[in-house]
Amino acid sequence: MTAALLALVRRDLALAAGQGGTIGMTIGFFIVAASLFPLAAGPEPALLARAAPAVIWIGALLATLLGLDRLFQADLEDGSLDLLLLGGSPASLIVLAKCLAHWLATGLPLVLASPLLALLLGLDPAALGVLAASLLLGTPTLSLVGAVGASLTVGLRRAGVLIALLVLPLYVPVLIFGAGTVGQATLGLPVLPGLGLLAALLLLSLPVAALGAAGALRLATS
Amino acid sequence: MTPRKKRRLWLVGAGFACVAGATALILTFLGDQLVFFLSPSQMLTAPPGPQQAIRVGGLVETGSVYKDADGLTLHFKVTDLKASVPVTFRGLPPTLFREGQGVVAEGRRQPDGTVLATNVLAKHDETYMPREVVEALKASGRWQEGAAMPDARPMTGSTP
Amino acid sequence: MFTRLANPARFLGLADRLLPWLAGATVLAFAGGLAWGLVLSPPDYQQGDTVRIMYVHVPAAWLALSIYLFMAAASVVGLVWKHPLADLAAKSAAPIGAAFCLIALVTGSLWGAPMWGAWWRWDPRLTSMLVLFFLYLGYLALWAAIEAPDKAAQAAAILAIVGAVNVPIVKFSVDWWSSLHQPASVMRMGGPTIDPSILWPLLLNAAAFHLYVATVLIWRLKAELIGRRLRALGLAIAEQT
Repeated sequence: MTAALLALVRRDLALAAGQGGTIGMTIGFFIVAASLFPLAAGPEPALLARAAPAVIWIGALLATLLGLDRLFQADLEDGSLDLLLLGGSPASLIVLAKCLAHWLATGLPLVLASPLLALLLGLDPAALGVLAASLLLGTPTLSLVGAVGASLTVGLRRAGVLIALLVLPLYVPVLIFGAGTVGQATLGLPVLPGLGLLAALLLLSLPVAALGAAGALRLATS
Repeated sequence: MTPRKKRRLWLVGAGFACVAGATALILTFLGDQLVFFLSPSQMLTAPPGPQQAIRVGGLVETGSVYKDADGLTLHFKVTDLKASVPVTFRGLPPTLFREGQGVVAEGRRQPDGTVLATNVLAKHDETYMPREVVEALKASGRWQEGAAMPDARPMTGSTP
Repeated sequence: MFTRLANPARFLGLADRLLPWLAGATVLAFAGGLAWGLVLSPPDYQQGDTVRIMYVHVPAAWLALSIYLFMAAASVVGLVWKHPLADLAAKSAAPIGAAFCLIALVTGSLWGAPMWGAWWRWDPRLTSMLVLFFLYLGYLALWAAIEAPDKAAQAAAILAIVGAVNVPIVKFSVDWWSSLHQPASVMRMGGPTIDPSILWPLLLNAAAFHLYVATVLIWRLKAELIGRRLRALGLAIAEQT
């Protein structure tokens, strides 16, 4: 069973790397979207540095949303979703494997690209480590909660906008603690509580997303 | 036990472990985060830097309110009955503002330890009474304006 | 009793008998509550007449929360026991809850401007209430987006249950964190902190709001059931011809 789930992750990653470079596009969107902010707000470095945590985190939220509508849709269309659900592995573990692949293809690249953005926005270099840590703890939650939205809307036309409407309110705590912790770091304040709460959200979203998305997928294929 | 049942048991156990871990983390850290305002004691134990936008909340200390000669600049102290922080504010305070009232001052901490407020918000408590009842309570000496209700919690931002 | 009520035909019969009484009681309670609250009750010692916003704000906020809980509970019943009436009950309740959530947000803003000195602050209570409103909107959008009614019902049910984590956050936000919003005055340990001359009109208004919700909910549920029957008839006719 573990081998089957690993194969699923490998397959999804190969698809993400192959299909016109989904990974590269996500990073590209992240950087372009976040660098629009200094163009709109003006180049005052102090203002940019203060807004940098918020801008980077909102960029990460939007970049995660990008690929969500294809997360289960492609598998539903070519019939592999039915096969996966019939294959003997519990549906909740299949959801978690899909989420892991989605995170490896979107969340992890965002973490790796974040120092570049921090540089562009003039974020205090001392906060770089905390920025990466907060994204590392926060973006998996975004993938997991996003999977619930994606599974609820699988099979619908124009699912993208609906996913955003369903999922963005549930992203609010991650955004508050994520951007808040980086802001704390730029002021030299303790960051452990913020990171701890991000970890708590991740732990909480694991069972909720696995159960919710698995239920919704069974429904979509029934 | 069939392997299938065993696996389900494992999954349920893992789910509960996740929820338990999340609860523990939340209980440990929640009090430190997401405060809308700091109390004066919190501000004095860990003084915020000058570039940090802060809110400090508590009661307006009795006898601490006075105005500068220009008639616009307002000085008062915010207290949580353990410590107090002096606040300077230039502008019109909300109608509820007076001694003993709960307030939240938004601004920055100055090098001399005072808070230069850009905004003063009145924080209302959870007691609602008609004027006559207040008069009667005062006359009988059971309650004074600004003090907590005889059976009410203190309304300063107490974090559990 | 629930299994008997869950029979749609029996529910329709009961609804027809209940609705006139509920509607009448709603009108009476509203007339009494609004007159008592907006005119007869005394002004607050601190807030003066502004306190009268409470007679609308507080019941609306209670209902915004309890209707969401009702939706989540009905969704559980619908998912586990596959009761068609439970799904439709959740669906019928959602727009009412969304409306009350909006009313609570708007009246809260109108109340905050003169009392706090601010229309809006990103306070935990205010923010979590706004998120609740967004969750209502998402729930309604999901129902609207999925064409097959039974699939829409189950998908919306999952969303309602996942979103229910926000309800305790709204309720306890004023106790867990320091907040600009005043703590609970009625449903709190140690009894209410409101003088009876203000508490009673508030409770009467709350009763009026609840009666209104019961009336409209049963009304909408009836309309949903009839609509479903019409769809079934239409399908049957289409198959015959």
